[in-house]
Amino acid sequence: MVKKIASWFYLLIIFLFLYTPIAVLVLMSFNKSQYNTLPFEFSARWYHELFSNTRLIESTFNSIYLALLTGLISVILATCLMLGLSKSKSKLKNWIQSFVVLPLSIPWLIMGLSLLLLLRAVGLDRNFIILLIGHVIVSFPYAVMVLRARMEGMDHFLQEASASLGANDWTTFIRIILPLIFPAILAGGFLAFMISFDNFILSYFLIPMGSSTLPIEIYSSIKFGFTPEINAVSTLILGGTIAILLLIVLLMGQTLKSFMK
Amino acid sequence: MRKSILLMSPAMFMLFAFGIIPLFIMLYYSFLSDGAEASFTLDNYINFFKKAFYLQLTWKTIRMSLIVTFICLLISYPVAYIMAKVIQKGKNLLLLLIIIPFWTSQLVRAYSWMTFLQDGGILDYLLRKLHLIGDGGLGILFTQTAVIISLVHIFFPYMVLTIYMSLEKVDLSLLEASRSLGASSWETFRRIILPLSKPGIITGAILIFVPSLGVFVEPRILGGTEGSVIGTVIEDQFFEIYGWNFGSAIAFILLAMVFLSLWLLSRLTKED
Repeated sequence: MVKKIASWFYLLIIFLFLYTPIAVLVLMSFNKSQYNTLPFEFSARWYHELFSNTRLIESTFNSIYLALLTGLISVILATCLMLGLSKSKSKLKNWIQSFVVLPLSIPWLIMGLSLLLLLRAVGLDRNFIILLIGHVIVSFPYAVMVLRARMEGMDHFLQEASASLGANDWTTFIRIILPLIFPAILAGGFLAFMISFDNFILSYFLIPMGSSTLPIEIYSSIKFGFTPEINAVSTLILGGTIAILLLIVLLMGQTLKSFMK
Repeated sequence: MRKSILLMSPAMFMLFAFGIIPLFIMLYYSFLSDGAEASFTLDNYINFFKKAFYLQLTWKTIRMSLIVTFICLLISYPVAYIMAKVIQKGKNLLLLLIIIPFWTSQLVRAYSWMTFLQDGGILDYLLRKLHLIGDGGLGILFTQTAVIISLVHIFFPYMVLTIYMSLEKVDLSLLEASRSLGASSWETFRRIILPLSKPGIITGAILIFVPSLGVFVEPRILGGTEGSVIGTVIEDQFFEIYGWNFGSAIAFILLAMVFLSLWLLSRLTKED
């Protein structure tokens, strides 16, 4: 009993530590003071000002647009790759599998700077395409990991059965494989979306002059004097993310259940 | 067979063209001398290893990463153990609570710590209300301590998850057997639980130590002048000093450190 109480007490302290920055963020988004100082005085002022801060809103939409494209491309590349790998009997298979997740262990700082050097070597300016490519390179290994976890548990007999019953590859893909891996496609895409949406480093190095994403706005705001609208927009995004996360958990739970039946 | 190659080729092309080739371009630049007539040189690397400043910086970065990894291990192990073996209810909720902070912006979290730790900030305010400190201020912000706090906060959930996953697999009957054979709790922990959770500890250490070597955002925001690490110095080379060749050399030294520690840590798991 004592052990249980001590355990819960320890967990409480750790979770307090874990949620301190989030609590500070939400609290300060409703605090009247511009300099994040106490005592706390309730005010919705920063939410009002957020909606007239066109630069912040524009950069938020830039981030969403970039992250949507990144998530989509990453998950398509990862799905094709994993399908190809599952068909392949090559000896290179293991090598390819560790090669594709290599970008996970290279610091983003180095990935970003090396792409910047690539631009210099071919004599191009920073542009949207290279920004998108940079985001895809760092996000797509995550989608690969999610898909791999799902496809390793997949039954090969289903594909063979489908083929022996006369279905061609395309029909097998649409009717057998796709429904099986769809939850992983969704989860992998969402993961890649979030990696990109929150990615500051790659954007910071590769964004075209004059454009901006939300993380870049946040960084320059921290560097050159903070505007509390950032707290407000981050609180809104946190709420939105948790909602999407719960939705995915529910959706995946549903799909899992429907497969159990 | 040809179909599988066709399916794999877009991703492989992408990785080669925009992941590997840029690294080789960076390697190439790291061997170039500055000035109008660039020629092949080893000077960039020699300069790094000759100057005490850079060697101290390297050691400081490694030390910081070790401290962060060690603190993460210390605070994560009990959390993972409690979740895997002590409590029965609420595991999934706790796992969800561990994961949610992953989805908040790294920058915003760093900024929140700034708000929390600064002199006159929330912690300062609370401690002064409780008369635990005087009016002198906390003095934590813009030191390496602040950087370490924020990195531990970002990374320890990884360690909780990896240790939890390896502890989850440990059979409770093993622990009962050990106890009924007269082993004390400490002995059971040291001889049974700890060895069985080693893979989780090492995976966690890889996920924490390796990225810690390359951080530069948290040291920039929270570390002040005291916080400079290899990552911030590389960024300075590229964006403040415009020493791209020297910056490339430092980046490659960092990359070598990353791969060396990956190799060392993954060897630890293979030994058993």
